[in-house]
Amino acid sequence: MPHLTLPITSGGPVLDLLVGVSRPRADALRRAGSPIPQPVSIRGLIDTGASCTCIDPASLRSLGLSPTGRVPIHTPSTNETPLDCEQYDVSLVLLHPKMQLALGSLGVIASNLEFHGIQALFGRDVLGRCLFVYDSSAQVFALAF
Amino acid sequence: MALERELKTYQRELANLLQHEGRFVLVHGSEVAGVFDTYDDAIRAGYDKYGLDPFLVKRVEAIEQIQSFTRPLDPCRT
Repeated sequence: MPHLTLPITSGGPVLDLLVGVSRPRADALRRAGSPIPQPVSIRGLIDTGASCTCIDPASLRSLGLSPTGRVPIHTPSTNETPLDCEQYDVSLVLLHPKMQLALGSLGVIASNLEFHGIQALFGRDVLGRCLFVYDSSAQVFALAF
Repeated sequence: MALERELKTYQRELANLLQHEGRFVLVHGSEVAGVFDTYDDAIRAGYDKYGLDPFLVKRVEAIEQIQSFTRPLDPCRT
C-alpha cells in the first residue's frame, strides 16, 4: 500500500496540497471557452474533529466557484442550532516526490482559518479515503492509500 | 444565500426521494434531474447537463446529517 510519512510539526499533522476547481467544473469551463483557474497551494491541518473539509475563502476566491450544495454544521460556537453553510466542489491534489494523490471532486465549506496559521482543515471525509497513523513517540504521521 | 429555489424543490420532493436515501440528488431550479450513487457522479452530471448554471447536489436523508467541528469556525462565502 503506497504510503507517506511526514513529521508532526508544532502545529500538528499538516499537509501541503493544491486546491483547484473540480474536474467536472474544469471540463464545463473548457466547454464554455472560459479559462480554468490555476490551482492554489494550501497548507492544512489533518483534523479528526472535523467531519468535513473546510478551506479558507482567500484560497478559494481565485477559483471563481459557485456553491453546489448547502450543509448544516455544528461548532462549539453554534450551540444547539446548526448553521447552514454553502458547499463548494473542488479538487485536491497532494504533491509529494513519493506519490501523487488526486481527489477529483470533494464538497468543502469555506471558513476563515488564517488566524489559525493554516488555510484548510482536512476532515474525516478525506481521512475516509486513506489510513492515517499518528505516531506521537516518533513525532511522525503516516498516510497510506 | 444561493440555491434557495433548489433547496425548496428538494424539500418539496423529499418524501418521494427517500426511496433513494443515502444517494445524491441533482436539482436544478424546480426540477429533480436525477439521483446518483456518489457525490462525484452527481456533480459530474450537474456540470454536464447545466454547465456553469447553478445546481444543487445533496445527499438524500430523512434526518439531515449535521457536519461537526470541534473547533470554533467562522463559516463564510467565497
